[in-house]
Amino acid sequence: MKKRILATLLTTLMVASLALSGCSGKQPTMDGSNAPDAAPAAEAPAAEAPADAAEAPAPASGDDKTITFWNIATDEPDHTLYIWAVDKYNAETSPESGYTVEMVPTVNDQYKEKLAVAMGAGQCPDMYTNWTGGSLVEYAKSGLAQDVTDLVDKYGLRDRYTEASLAQASIDGKIYAIPVKSNSVASFFYDKKMWAEKGYEIPKTLDELEALCDKMVADGITPFALANQPQWTGSMYYMYLVARHGGPEIISKAYDGTGSLENESTIFAGEKIEEWVDKGYFPEGVNSLSPDNGDDRALLYKGAGMMLHGSWQVSSIKSENPDFYENLGAFPFPEITGSSADQTAVVGTLGDNFISFSCTGEKLEEAFKLATLYSTDEFMQMDIDSGNLPPLKAAKSDEPAWQDILAVLNSASSVQLWWDQYLPPAVADVHKSATQKLFDKSETPENVAKEQQAAMDEWLSQQ
Amino acid sequence: MNKKNSMTAKNKKDIALCAFVFLLPVLILLTTYLLYPIIATFVNSFFQWNGISAEKKFIGFANWNKLLHDKDFWAAFFNNIKVMVLSLLVQMPIGILLATFLDAGGRKFNFFKVIWFLPMLMSAVAVGYLFRYALATNGGLISSLSELLGGKNVDLLGNQKTALFAVIGVICWQFIPFYMVYYLAGYSSIPEDVYEAAIIDGATRSQYVTRIALPLLVPTIRSAIILSLIGSLKYFDLVYIMTGGGPGTSTELMATYMYKNSFVTFNMGYGSTIAAGMFILITIFAAVVMRLLRGKG
Repeated sequence: MKKRILATLLTTLMVASLALSGCSGKQPTMDGSNAPDAAPAAEAPAAEAPADAAEAPAPASGDDKTITFWNIATDEPDHTLYIWAVDKYNAETSPESGYTVEMVPTVNDQYKEKLAVAMGAGQCPDMYTNWTGGSLVEYAKSGLAQDVTDLVDKYGLRDRYTEASLAQASIDGKIYAIPVKSNSVASFFYDKKMWAEKGYEIPKTLDELEALCDKMVADGITPFALANQPQWTGSMYYMYLVARHGGPEIISKAYDGTGSLENESTIFAGEKIEEWVDKGYFPEGVNSLSPDNGDDRALLYKGAGMMLHGSWQVSSIKSENPDFYENLGAFPFPEITGSSADQTAVVGTLGDNFISFSCTGEKLEEAFKLATLYSTDEFMQMDIDSGNLPPLKAAKSDEPAWQDILAVLNSASSVQLWWDQYLPPAVADVHKSATQKLFDKSETPENVAKEQQAAMDEWLSQQ
Repeated sequence: MNKKNSMTAKNKKDIALCAFVFLLPVLILLTTYLLYPIIATFVNSFFQWNGISAEKKFIGFANWNKLLHDKDFWAAFFNNIKVMVLSLLVQMPIGILLATFLDAGGRKFNFFKVIWFLPMLMSAVAVGYLFRYALATNGGLISSLSELLGGKNVDLLGNQKTALFAVIGVICWQFIPFYMVYYLAGYSSIPEDVYEAAIIDGATRSQYVTRIALPLLVPTIRSAIILSLIGSLKYFDLVYIMTGGGPGTSTELMATYMYKNSFVTFNMGYGSTIAAGMFILITIFAAVVMRLLRGKG
């Protein structure tokens, strides 16, 4: 009898300890998510605990001496560029510091969500790329992006980076991210050779653009290579039309609550897009084509007229289709004649990717050291050679395609960050899905404008 | 006599204890991974929370009030209803048909059994990407066929009117095999002698199927309907992969809407409210349908 009792007791103990270890594994994760801005000492075991509880080979992010670095460098040349600094750090700095860096690239369109899930679960990567704007505000507010102003000064990065790019990474005067990779503005890309053969000329005004597009349609050419499944691509047309019609201040005024997105400029933009849809300027099935598959570039290669896109396309085209690249040209979004708004503003970003840091203390400094590699002369040259233009003071590019873009950038009075990054995430999502409805004309321009402002109002009311 | 009684009582106690000990691991797993998240979801639904920060702001029933008046949510709910109804109408009959065919054929039709079951073996993500390419407007399977016949390109996924139905078609393609196997299992649970008796009594094969086998399959059909119903109401993966809820919001389902709010727009509080709302709606639906079906049975 006694033996049985003992056996029962032992089994109970065993099960209970199993269960408790299960609980202890679960518990800290919760703490982590509730207090992500706790000291790293408290955070590290939190992330580590579930690893030994149930899922043994869990992500290594819990390891104290491993710096996890998330980015979107799944394709070339980005992967080579990003991994260069990681390898360099691991080879040269690791032996003294004891820290190693692990890079985790994710496909662009899933990246933001994956990051949000990881952050919510208390498993935020130590360093991660983002696009500044509304999302970075959320990260910083939640303690998941550290203020690195002191480190920027300590490592002399102010001498390296252009002022405007650091300004884009700042919130209330404090720097929360380090720009990487490239200045990127949205401009039209086109095939110089094809245009010369057909006798097309670069349109300077919106009327000229429309006349050109009509000519292209008559020639059996789709004027705009657009893949609008993820919605931010079509948004570029909308942003530019609004900016040309009403000036870049429309969006900033809407953001701080002094203006509205429901105005004649947004309605003008919506009407223009619907008009262009009617005239057949956009490809068939525009809302189901995806830029992640390179559908838009494929259209351009196959003879579509032009593609309004960010400058990162230069490096993609260079590595993907060198023959086409030789004749790649770019021109700014045409002006609206007679408009009182500033016609030189461009939509884009001064850095494309920005690295933010969630770790603190010694680990933060080590992670930051890695990030400084992205502003060295050696990296700058690699970056330029691959078709980018880093936001560094010393950066100059000989690439022909960049001369056109630089001309656009240098004459720009201001750079307006993409709406879908600039706006608070909740509003950005409405902006994207609402504007997509213009491309199949399922919603009127008035309602699209109204929908965006309603989301803006709701967000403002929660602040 | 007393002693014997106390023995059984003691035995019972022992058994209960033993059962408790053995059930404990499952109980703990269920509490951690099922009960706790459900409760946490309901708790979160009363907060304004971005999902990543430490602070949560208690806002009472504001999220719930918003949910009741959120036309996007209800549009998503009706999309779910469309998925549910069409899934039932398409998957159930075809599933039964295929199962009947395979049951009649026996081992000879093993080839079909394998071929037809293949879609079920693929992950939803792979199926989603596969059909995204197959349905592509330029160079997709359907468009190429249409061009071959002299027609125009077909844009199924980029058109708000057809996108949802295109996705439902793919969902059916993926899930019909599941119900086929489900019904096949139902058929094989009907004893062989029932069939023999029917044949001896002079029934034809079709009479056997309609008069004897199908009535005997009713319990199987009933549980298949409930499975399909719950599955359709919480459906997520293919829609997320193929359209992401677009174009516009035309293929938004409750689950994709919840996902968007929770992880894309940093609105975890409201996302939790949607999840809790889904939980309530699906529970009510399942309970009502179960009651209705039981009444008939």
